[in-house]
Amino acid sequence: MTAREEQVWALVAAARRLADAKTNEGARARAVLAAATGLSVEGVELALTEHLETEPTRNDVTALVGSVEPARAAHVVLSAGVFVAAHRAIALGLAASDTVFVKPSRREPEMARLLAEALPGSFTVVDAIAPRAGDVVFAYGNDETLAAMRAALPAGVRFRGHGTGFGVAIIDARGTDAELEASAVSLCRDVVPFDQRGCLSPRIVFVTGTPERGHAFSEALSHSLARAERLVPRGQLSADEAAEITRYRDTIRYAGALFPAGTGWIGFDATGGAAVLPPVGRNLHVVVTNDVPALLAPISKWITAIGMGGAVSGGTAEGLTNAVRTAVPRARMSALGLMQKPPFDGPVDRRDTD
Amino acid sequence: MSSLEESDALHARVRAFARHSLSGAATESFDALAADIARFQAAHIPGFRRLVDAHGTSLSDAASIPAVPVDAFRLARVAVHPPEQDDARFVTSGTTSGAPGTHALRTTSTYRELSLAWAIPGLLCDESPRVVVALAPDPGDVITSSLAFMMRALMETLDGRSLGDGTAARFDVDAKARWLVGPGGPDVVGIARAVAVARERREPLLVLATSFALVLLADATDQRFEAPEGSVVMTTGGFKGKSREIAPAALVERVAWQFGVPAPRIIGEYGMTELTSQLYEHPPERGVFHPPPWLRVTPVDPETLAPVPPGEKGIARFVDLGNVDSAVAIVTQDLVRATGTGVELFGRRPGAPPRGCSLAIEEMVLGSAG
Repeated sequence: MTAREEQVWALVAAARRLADAKTNEGARARAVLAAATGLSVEGVELALTEHLETEPTRNDVTALVGSVEPARAAHVVLSAGVFVAAHRAIALGLAASDTVFVKPSRREPEMARLLAEALPGSFTVVDAIAPRAGDVVFAYGNDETLAAMRAALPAGVRFRGHGTGFGVAIIDARGTDAELEASAVSLCRDVVPFDQRGCLSPRIVFVTGTPERGHAFSEALSHSLARAERLVPRGQLSADEAAEITRYRDTIRYAGALFPAGTGWIGFDATGGAAVLPPVGRNLHVVVTNDVPALLAPISKWITAIGMGGAVSGGTAEGLTNAVRTAVPRARMSALGLMQKPPFDGPVDRRDTD
Repeated sequence: MSSLEESDALHARVRAFARHSLSGAATESFDALAADIARFQAAHIPGFRRLVDAHGTSLSDAASIPAVPVDAFRLARVAVHPPEQDDARFVTSGTTSGAPGTHALRTTSTYRELSLAWAIPGLLCDESPRVVVALAPDPGDVITSSLAFMMRALMETLDGRSLGDGTAARFDVDAKARWLVGPGGPDVVGIARAVAVARERREPLLVLATSFALVLLADATDQRFEAPEGSVVMTTGGFKGKSREIAPAALVERVAWQFGVPAPRIIGEYGMTELTSQLYEHPPERGVFHPPPWLRVTPVDPETLAPVPPGEKGIARFVDLGNVDSAVAIVTQDLVRATGTGVELFGRRPGAPPRGCSLAIEEMVLGSAG
C-alpha cells in the first residue's frame, strides 16, 4: 500500500467513525449537520449511514489515488449541495499531496470540520485558498463559480472543476406492473438522499413504452415518493428553491400532467416533446419517448449519472443501454437505486473538466 | 355563442375599454372584464382550467385569476383557438439553451390598436406626421417578433410615406431603408439619410431602437446626427446574452449626444412577447415604467404568488386585457417594485440557488426531440 493510499484509508476510517452514531464523532455529526444542511434529521442519518463511503474496496481506493496526479499542494473547494461529498473530495486531495487545504462552503462548513477533527493533522480547513504554481485545485460548484475561480488562478496551477450536472433515469416500461412498481421504489432511493441536491441526483426520467405505461409509472413514482417521505421527510427548502418549485408546478400543471409526490411533484409529458429540468426538492419530470438518445443529446454535457431500470421480465434492453452509453459516454451508469452509491474510485463526476 | 363569437365580443369590449379609459370614461370595470376573459379561457383551454381548479378560485376579479407562468408558452400552445386560426405567431428569443416560446394571436387588430394607443402618447407623439425608423433588423415579410410588429405599426401610422419622394404608394417599397441594423451592424448612412429627410420635411424623427443596437452604434461611430427638434428615441430590451452592455444612464447620455435629442425625449419601453401591452418611462423620471389602464402589474411573492407588501420587490404578475385569446394573467421571473403609477424593473430573479452542482431552472427547457 502506498503512502497516499494509507492517507486515504485513514480518512475512510475517520468517516466510518462519523457514520457510527455510537461514537462521539458520530453523535456530534448528527448534532450539527441537520441545522447546517437543511436536511431533516432522518435525511442526515440516511446520508451518513447509506451514502458516506465507509467500505470501499482496495481496488477502488487504488483507482481513486491513481485518478489524480501528485502536486506540491492540493486545494479543495467544496460546495454545499451534498455534505458527504466532502469525504471523497478531501480523499482526492490527500491522494494528490501531503499538503491539503480545504475551503468548505459558507452554507455548510461542518462536514469538513468534522472530518478534520476526526483525523487531526491530515488537512487544513481554510477560509480562502492561495494556490501557487505546481499546486492543484479541486473545485465543486456551479459552472459560473468555477469559471470565475479558474480565471483567477495563478499560472502553473492545475484545475479540476466539477460543475453543473444532474442525473437521469431511464425506465423500460414494457415489464409487468410489479416491475414498474419496483423501478419506482428503486428510483426513490436515488431521489431522496440530500433532497435531490446532488449532481448525481436524478431529475429527469425517460420512460420507453406507451404513454399509458408512462402514466402508470408516474403514478407509481408519486406514491413511492410519498411513502418514502414518511420515512425520510424532506428538509427545509431555501426561498429560491421553493420559488422554483412553484414555477415548475404551475408550468407543468398548465402544459402537461402533474402528480403530487409527498411534498414534491411529478411532471408527466406523454408526448416526448422536451426534456424539462425540474427544481431540486424531490421533483421529477417524466417523459415518454422511444428515442432516448435523441432526448439525451442536447443535455448530455450536464449528465453525470444514469440509472437504468424496468423490464426485467422482458429481458435486458442491451441495445438501449449501449445507445445510452454512446450518447453520454462519461456518465456513471448503474441500476436504479444505486445512482447515489458510486464506487469510491475517483471523482463522482467523470466528465472531463480539466 | 361560439367561441369565435365570444372572442370577438371580448376583443370589442377590450378595445372599447382602452379607448374610453384613455379619455377617462371607462365603459366597465377592469376586474369584470378580466374575469370574463379568464372564464372564457378556462372554458376552452384545459391547461388553464387545471390551474384554476388547483388554485380553487372563482375567477371573480383580476386578483383571483391564476397567472400562467411564461414558461408555459415554451412548453405548450397557450391559445383558445386552433393553430389554423392564427393570424400571427410571436416568438420569444428563448434562453441560452432553451426552446423559444410562442404567443399565438387569432387577430392582431387588438394588439395593434392597444400598442398604438399607449405608444403614441408614451413616445410624446401626436397624430401629426413624422419620420419613423427602427434601429433594428428588417423583420421580413412574416413578422414573428412582437417588437417588430409594434415598430412597423408605428411606422405605418405615424409616417406611412416613402423616405424618398414622400408618397404613400412607395412606403412598402423602401421599407428596408427604415430597418437600420444589418448583418454588418447599424446602418450609419441610413440613419443620416433618415435624419436628413426629417430635417428637409421639418418633421420630428422617431427612432425605435433596441438598447443593444444603440450600443453597437456608439461603438461603430462617433458621428452626431442632429435630429430635428421634437425628435424622440425609444429604447427597449436588455443585454441578456450580449457581448457588451452599458448602464442605462450612460446609454441615455450617449444617445442624447449622438442624436442631438434632449435626454427627456429618450424614452424606455418594456414589453414581452407574452403580453399584448407595453409600458413606457415618463422622463425625466427614470427606471419607472408605466402601464396603460388595460394592464395591471403586481409584484408577487415567487413562492406563494401573493402580492408582496408595498415597497417590496416581487416577481411581475401581469393582468393584460389584450391577451384575450391566450393568457389574461401571466407571471414572469422579472423582479419589479410598484411605485405610485408604475413599476421599477430589476431584471431577472436569480434562478434556483447555486447549491453545489444543481442547475438553475433558467436552463429548464433543455431540448426537443423535434
